[in-house]
Amino acid sequence: MTGVTLQNVTKRFKTETAVDDVSLAIVDGEFVVILGASGSGKSTILRIIAGLEVQTSGHVYIGDMLVDDYEPRDRNLAMVFQSYALYPHLNAYDNIAFGLRVRRVPRADHPRKLRHLTKREVDAKVRSAAQMLGIGEMLRKRPAELSGGQRQRVALARAMVRDPEAFLLDEPLSNLDAKIRSSARIELKRLHARLRQTFIFVTHDQSEAMTLGDRLAILNHGRLLQCDTPERVLSHPANQYVASFVGSPEMVFLEGNVQPAGAGYTFVKDPVRIPIRGAARPGPVTLGVRPWDVRVEKEGSPTALPSRVTGVERLGSSDHLFLELAGPAPASGAAAPAPPALSVRAVTRAYDFNVGDRAFVTFDPDRALFFDAEGARLESMSLATRLP
Amino acid sequence: MRVRPRRRWVRLAKRVASHLVLILACAFALFPIYFIVVTSLSTLPIAAITAHVLVPNPHSLTAASYNTILYHLSPSFLALMTNSLIFAGSAAATGLALAAFTGFALSKFNFPGRRTFVYFILLISLFPGVLLVIPYYFMFNSLGLIDTYLGLIIPYSAGAVVFSGILVKNYMDSIPDDIEEAALVDGLSRTQAFFRVLIPLCYPVLGLAAFLAFLGPYTDFALAHLFITTTNLETLALGIYSINSGDQGTQNYGLVTAFAVVMSLPIVAFYLAFQRYIIGGLTLGAVRG
Amino acid sequence: MADLRDQTLAFRLRREWPAYVYLLPVTIVLLFLNAYPIAYTIYISMTDFGTGPKGSLLHYHYVGLANYDYVISHQSSTILQLVGNSFFWAGGCIALFLLVGLGLACVLNQPLRGKTIYRTLILLPWAFPAFITLLVWAGMWDYEYGIINGVLNAIGIHSVDWLLSPDNAWAALFITNVWLSFPFYTVVFLATMQAIPKDLYEAASIDGAGALSQFRRITLPYLRPTIVFVGLMGFLFTFNNFYPIYLLTNGGPGLSTQIFITQSYSDAFGAHGAAPLYSTAAMYSVLDFLIIIVLTVVVIWGADLTRNWLR
Repeated sequence: MTGVTLQNVTKRFKTETAVDDVSLAIVDGEFVVILGASGSGKSTILRIIAGLEVQTSGHVYIGDMLVDDYEPRDRNLAMVFQSYALYPHLNAYDNIAFGLRVRRVPRADHPRKLRHLTKREVDAKVRSAAQMLGIGEMLRKRPAELSGGQRQRVALARAMVRDPEAFLLDEPLSNLDAKIRSSARIELKRLHARLRQTFIFVTHDQSEAMTLGDRLAILNHGRLLQCDTPERVLSHPANQYVASFVGSPEMVFLEGNVQPAGAGYTFVKDPVRIPIRGAARPGPVTLGVRPWDVRVEKEGSPTALPSRVTGVERLGSSDHLFLELAGPAPASGAAAPAPPALSVRAVTRAYDFNVGDRAFVTFDPDRALFFDAEGARLESMSLATRLP
Repeated sequence: MRVRPRRRWVRLAKRVASHLVLILACAFALFPIYFIVVTSLSTLPIAAITAHVLVPNPHSLTAASYNTILYHLSPSFLALMTNSLIFAGSAAATGLALAAFTGFALSKFNFPGRRTFVYFILLISLFPGVLLVIPYYFMFNSLGLIDTYLGLIIPYSAGAVVFSGILVKNYMDSIPDDIEEAALVDGLSRTQAFFRVLIPLCYPVLGLAAFLAFLGPYTDFALAHLFITTTNLETLALGIYSINSGDQGTQNYGLVTAFAVVMSLPIVAFYLAFQRYIIGGLTLGAVRG
Repeated sequence: MADLRDQTLAFRLRREWPAYVYLLPVTIVLLFLNAYPIAYTIYISMTDFGTGPKGSLLHYHYVGLANYDYVISHQSSTILQLVGNSFFWAGGCIALFLLVGLGLACVLNQPLRGKTIYRTLILLPWAFPAFITLLVWAGMWDYEYGIINGVLNAIGIHSVDWLLSPDNAWAALFITNVWLSFPFYTVVFLATMQAIPKDLYEAASIDGAGALSQFRRITLPYLRPTIVFVGLMGFLFTFNNFYPIYLLTNGGPGLSTQIFITQSYSDAFGAHGAAPLYSTAAMYSVLDFLIIIVLTVVVIWGADLTRNWLR
């Protein structure tokens, strides 16, 4: 029951850098999700913590112990693999008991001498873990005879009985059916609440990350982009990559320009023109809005952007709309060509709109975000409430 | 409606043809064995055997040759068998251990010089083995190991070690690294993980390796012939050779074949008992890997 | 530069050193039982061991490449014949092994009643000691008393002088050796075929691929690494497989089925009542070894197909 700290950890393989100068402090008892696309280096980080890979440079601490030179077996961590990696030749019981049987603990009478756990101690631990995970009935079965969900529980039980410093979980839910996966998520979260131990969980699935993590660490190309609570990651993404990777449906991005307009500045992306509040400089920027921060109304207010509904995805409790922004009608007589259609996605109440409807769109000014050309967030800029 | 019957005929013809091919293959495989067994059950002179084998006459079947082999041989068949089992058994055990260690090191470690080592052992094992017999004689003579158990067990151990080592390596390659890593995280050293996880998972290929390591020494003639001069170390292969080369003046086919049958029994029994493992070991991991 | 913990040789050694411990026994065994005797044989091939003046068996002298020089200048036709026979023997056998092995494996790979029984029976010759069955085969090919001529006579065909004319002797050798080896090849290929995912075949048959094109497009590519490895190892093994020829024809008639290894053995142990010519025998085995090394290197370099196996 300890925290885990990474200090400037870098891992280079022959040609590429898998982990690039990552520092991350995981607090005791915390559930941290390392989130990234495949190849982002997230599994490598987990393997470095476990000691299965050795970092090229940097340090790993478990609690306040520097473990750079520790073998995996001396780190007292537990790991659940994506494939579960159950021992095929042992039944579920022996799989769970495996680590307990090799482990040695101080003797009661002679604290400096070590002894193996007794058969009864092992049995008690195996049974209590199995019961907690509801696999008490299938302990005699071999992995090949178990379903995916059962295997995953056996792997979890195998990790639990060891009473490790921390749990490392490498995409443990990705091999499950969609249906079991969501219930497994809830169970895992409940398990964490009950054990109050450090969980480090790797996934590429952002919704899994959002539901499970106390904090998310988002990786891309081996770099740690942001580590924060799910809410903060959603509302204050460090950059455009994080903003687009987290949140479903994906954030709406409008690549446009900041242009001076009167005393202030305006965001321009034909046909959209929206005034800006805060410090701004002319140049290319990207405006990002979460689809659920796009407000869609039937009646036009003066600040709203007129648009047409081109597609509706009905999800039951809500609808996803695909809208084409028309912008303010061009001044009559001007021979300007029709501006290119601009698509925006929005989340609305169910059955409010149909394909072909006219709709009026506003962006929640407090929630819209700006990013510069490199994707870095421009925190000082936001949308003005009113159109001029 | 016209297509269906034709397709059924084609399928039937294919099945019949498959069975025919397999029956022919089995006949080819079994004929010499059948020949050996029938011959061993008769005491007919050579000239009469052919007709007898083609149309066995139940009245001339006799276990006389077996009686001679089992009870009237000097040294006794039991003594020969014991020696052969000692030689082949020890060699198989040693060879198996060597192959397992070799396969493990080559499959799960990436040590500097690995490639060179593989080529080295491969190359060294390509030298025609029959001709090593003579240097062996000088070497073991100067070590005082001629005519001893150890003197034969040592060279026998190396017989199949390179081929078996590569078989084991390849089989281990097909075991996901995850499983070994799970054991490491579970608190095992790599050596413990090898013995407690990898070895049990490699039983099929180890069974095959043991079979190969046993077969060579059990049937070896060349080395035994040169190394063994005392009768009480004689092996089955030497025994059958001395019967075949006709110490009694004429070759006795009944005796030779009866000897062959009894000598083969342990191997056939082992093979039938561990067939599944042996065949599993032959999958060679080429697809899974 | 920060310390590059994992990039140094020292790091790799610290992590991988147990491998050397595991390989130590096999290395000692191979140095003692292979490397040293090979070096010894190479040395002997450059002495007059057994060929010098009478009584020189233990008082031999270093003669350099004289033995090689002698055979190459005086017996080049013998050498050429041995090379030719060795390649014919190994190549012919391997071609037959692969053909029979692949063919039977394909037949056995279909859903068929009694498959397991067929497989067990086909593999049975493998469980019989080759040494014994070869003695029996030698008797079976016998002109006067052999069962094979007996069978031929029974169906009205005249006896064939199996081991007494070159062509028939080769035929007898090939058939015998196929009997000894085809079980192994069949089962290796069958086991590998069974590991090919079935849905590949289903997908192909939906695409309208017939049995032949399924074999060419799925089975063969999957089997290729196995075929190359097993073929190469089998070739090298057969090249030096001494017993069938030694026990059936002993190289005869004349030199027509003699290969390096049997020639070498005859010289070494003074077959046909001649005196043992150990230095000549050693020379033949060194030549044999050289050919094999060249062959192996060519195959390994030429085709990266074995990479899977020796990687």
